[in-house]
Amino acid sequence: MRVRTLTGGSRLRAGALLVLNVVGLMAFLWPFALPAFTGGNENHHADGPVVLLVLLVCLGTLLFVELGRGGMGPKAVALLGVLGAAMVALRLPGFVAGFSAMFIIVLVAGNAFGPSFGFLLGAVGTFASGLFIGGLGPWLPFQMVAVGWVGMGAGLLPRSGSWGVRIWALAAYGVIAGYLFGALMNLWSWPFLTAGTAVSWSPDATAAENLRHYLTFYAATSFVWDTFRAVGNCVLVLALGRPLLGALDRAARRMRLEVGDDMNMTGPAMPVVREGAVDVEDPAAVLGGTRGVPVGR
Amino acid sequence: MTGRSGMHPGAWIAWATCAGMVTFTTTNPFYLALVVAVSFFVYAAQRIPGPTARSFRVFAIAGLITMVVRTALVFLGTIDAGNVAFAALEGARLATLLIVFGTFNAVTDPFGVVRLAPRRFHEPALAAALALSIAPRTVATAGRVREAQTLRGIPTSWRTLPALAVPVLETGMEEAVTLAESMDARGHGRGRRTRYRPARWTPAAILVSAASLVAAGVFVTAAWTQRGDLHPSTSPIAWPEVQPALLAVIGLLAIPAFAPRPREDA
Amino acid sequence: MTEALRVDAVSFRYPDAARPALIDVTLDIEEGTFALAIGPTGAGKSTFLRVANGLVPHFTGGAFTGRVFAAGRDTLAYPPRALADAVAFVPQDPGASFVLDRVEEELAYGMENLGVDPAHMRRRVEEMLDLLDIEPLRTRSVRSISGGERQRVAIAAALAAGPRILVLDEPTSQLDPQGAEHVFAALQRLVHDQGMTVILAEHRLERVAGQVDLALGFDEGRVTAGDPAAVIRRLALGPPVARLGRLVGWDPVPLTVRDARRLAGSLPERLRPASPVPGDTRVELRRLSARHGDAPALHDIDLTAGEGEIVAVMGRNGAGKTTLLRSIAGVHAPESGSVRFGGHAPRPGIDAALCPQEPESVLFADTVAAEVAVTLKARGIDDVRPETLLAELGIAELAGRHPRDLSAGQRLLVATAAIAAGRAPVLLLDEPTRGLDPEAKERLARFLRSHADGGGTALFATHDVELAAAVATRVVMLAGGEVIADGDPAAVLGDSHVFAPQMTRAFGPGWLTPEQVAEALA
Repeated sequence: MRVRTLTGGSRLRAGALLVLNVVGLMAFLWPFALPAFTGGNENHHADGPVVLLVLLVCLGTLLFVELGRGGMGPKAVALLGVLGAAMVALRLPGFVAGFSAMFIIVLVAGNAFGPSFGFLLGAVGTFASGLFIGGLGPWLPFQMVAVGWVGMGAGLLPRSGSWGVRIWALAAYGVIAGYLFGALMNLWSWPFLTAGTAVSWSPDATAAENLRHYLTFYAATSFVWDTFRAVGNCVLVLALGRPLLGALDRAARRMRLEVGDDMNMTGPAMPVVREGAVDVEDPAAVLGGTRGVPVGR
Repeated sequence: MTGRSGMHPGAWIAWATCAGMVTFTTTNPFYLALVVAVSFFVYAAQRIPGPTARSFRVFAIAGLITMVVRTALVFLGTIDAGNVAFAALEGARLATLLIVFGTFNAVTDPFGVVRLAPRRFHEPALAAALALSIAPRTVATAGRVREAQTLRGIPTSWRTLPALAVPVLETGMEEAVTLAESMDARGHGRGRRTRYRPARWTPAAILVSAASLVAAGVFVTAAWTQRGDLHPSTSPIAWPEVQPALLAVIGLLAIPAFAPRPREDA
Repeated sequence: MTEALRVDAVSFRYPDAARPALIDVTLDIEEGTFALAIGPTGAGKSTFLRVANGLVPHFTGGAFTGRVFAAGRDTLAYPPRALADAVAFVPQDPGASFVLDRVEEELAYGMENLGVDPAHMRRRVEEMLDLLDIEPLRTRSVRSISGGERQRVAIAAALAAGPRILVLDEPTSQLDPQGAEHVFAALQRLVHDQGMTVILAEHRLERVAGQVDLALGFDEGRVTAGDPAAVIRRLALGPPVARLGRLVGWDPVPLTVRDARRLAGSLPERLRPASPVPGDTRVELRRLSARHGDAPALHDIDLTAGEGEIVAVMGRNGAGKTTLLRSIAGVHAPESGSVRFGGHAPRPGIDAALCPQEPESVLFADTVAAEVAVTLKARGIDDVRPETLLAELGIAELAGRHPRDLSAGQRLLVATAAIAAGRAPVLLLDEPTRGLDPEAKERLARFLRSHADGGGTALFATHDVELAAAVATRVVMLAGGEVIADGDPAAVLGDSHVFAPQMTRAFGPGWLTPEQVAEALA
């Protein structure tokens, strides 16, 4: 019995996915990346909408491919729904200066169910909570991808081994992700927000100058919020990480989900069985004390 | 909140995107003010009562704050009347953008947006819809758990967070199993799907989309050809001029206000 | 072939399980049969239901042997989604299985998956709305409808795609008597008017035992299929009239009130022993009124409960039972009137402890013993070990298990232990018998009696008439937020049509339990 995987699982796909993610990253880093590609254009007032459109298309493509894969199966969809609901519910209390409890879900679920699921949950959960609280806008694709990356990264962290390692790694990641998320979310919109000021972006300036401007801007606006977020993530992981991960691991076991490290989530969610092609177990094996052998293998 | 006979959500997305683009192309305070007025008009006429209607106010306040912060950024550099005016206009543009999206959020039915998803995205869209429907239950469960634990003598505090979070999560996981079983048993993932009541493009929806596209097109062209007083001069500061034709074009964005209102069902 | 379901030498073991869940099951169920699966918890009923539609083994994994043909299709070759148009499956908690928001759309979801064309879908949705008598609900949100309505919507949604076999897992465990009635009536219609095959697993057998054609008795993975009376007799389960039959030695055992009367003849009205005089008053409600959200929930309630009393609070869903218990516990503020424990307002958890409707709400520890220990620590009680308290409920053997791995009944007992550990003199239980198997019910009843004997007070809200008849010393009936009856169980229950236990229906007021009747007939 062939078990279909969540992401398709071939090397070519993995490579294409990697490229897409890099393109997505470029979309966030465009203020630094763009001058390298264009000759620079003073009148970026007119460019504004076009640049934004291009960025949205890049991110849209990434989301399109990652979300449009299909073949998730009822287990993955149900888990996304339930965990997404938790994200939506946690958005309600609102932000406390940048800290959003929503992240803890993405962090633990990403770690428990793998990078592929982590990205999906980040994207879908952000979308749903945007819908719920009425926060739709052009920032949504950026948010979806950024939160998705947080989840994906959590899935790449150690999953087996001692609890201590697992939790501390996740907590450290929570801090880093908290800052990176803020920096990225600030970065893509920075030129739009600061045109004409002393900390503006300029396509003609050197990378170092732009960076200095950005860091000043960042320090003035986002840094405090991001610190709240980073610290909040860390605290929540340390306080809740172990019991939550335990519950999720148990759920994965009960649902017969084998979580792979190679960005795939496999499991008998969608087995493909051809008539007559199944190995039926020997009754003695079923009734005797031997360990459970999966159907058909 | 499930008013289904409203306009096709695609029309609203078109409207919001085009109104956003119009806003993006200009810092002329008169144009911006008219966009704000139009947005409010559409909001008042078409808002869906419920939590999302509140978002308009939230966005409006966020817009105000953004404007203030943006203007304050001037203090990071040289301060003169021209710079302040420039910053204020930039802030006004951002605020207008937020108000446009405030309207969008208030007039759109969240489930409608999800139902819009093309077949490829059926599963993530379904997951989003599930997240929306399950969220109230999650909140209710959390309330019940908190109360039950308080009755046991476990107060709600930082250290007792697991006592609150774990039951909610584990209950959710069990419900996920029931849900997945039910979906599997009802044929999820079986093959090509059909749609029960697909949203239709009514003449109103088409008109709104077309008008919005025209408005966006006009303004982007004006920006490209640098005509139309889109960016009043701030050094030196001059009184902004307006083109009546462009004012009329912004008026096109008010058309959705006259679309038939969504029917309210229980 | 007129077999709806053919099961051939099927054995199955869940992954990581020590023992098989099903052992060598062979049976045939013909089309148009109304079949009932009965047996203690863990005997394999739920597993069997899932074998019928392929969830076992495709969804669950595990080791499977034998063959199953559902509507002629081999379930090993056809995964559940391929059987969606042949077998309809309705899980125990339908509220958690809904996918969309509106009833109408929920009904269409299965058909959308099957690629049915829209015009046909519209027709089928209308048919289903009529068939299950839910037409007025078509535009309602699935969240806003009652439990019984939800169950019928779930049935309609599963049937919309056209299957001829309907499989239900304990459909009435969460319903009040009226809701249960509607569901069983709908199932009857499906079998007799539509020729469908219905297989259901149930613990609450009072209403349904007499209606079914075939009983499947489950005992530790083995199944005996046959005449309902015979299977029920063998398994020592069943409605009170069947228990009476076994006690008295009738063969076949009666399954309905009518059968019981025919066998026993009539009995004189029972001479009731004097009700025990309650001890000191523990809690007093005076002119209590309360709201639930915007709506009035309780109106002018006067009530007292004292030492040694076990009070059953009964009434329809929405009558105010939960609000009443929560007001007594002190977590629901009254609008007017008062709740007093010896003169002072209730101290939550200290004067009265409340076990909520969903016992899962309190379970978060890794082991059962730890769960109890948490409460002991929180209340500063260190003179008793958790295992002792667990033994009082008969579940000491579960001490090391993880609470979430247990059955619904076991979880309730664990939650009760965890909450009773706080030593509050007044114990409040909100619908403890939801989804409870008879054995767990028995243990709960014993616990309540010993609690009362020890000077405690217990109040429990329930629909379970039989439990009230067996254990309550007093019954309070609520309707529309008011107390409409308060007194001796035999009197209150005997007076009601809806809430009368089977023995009362069969033999008249005063007869509450099979044991009483058996004694009189001896």
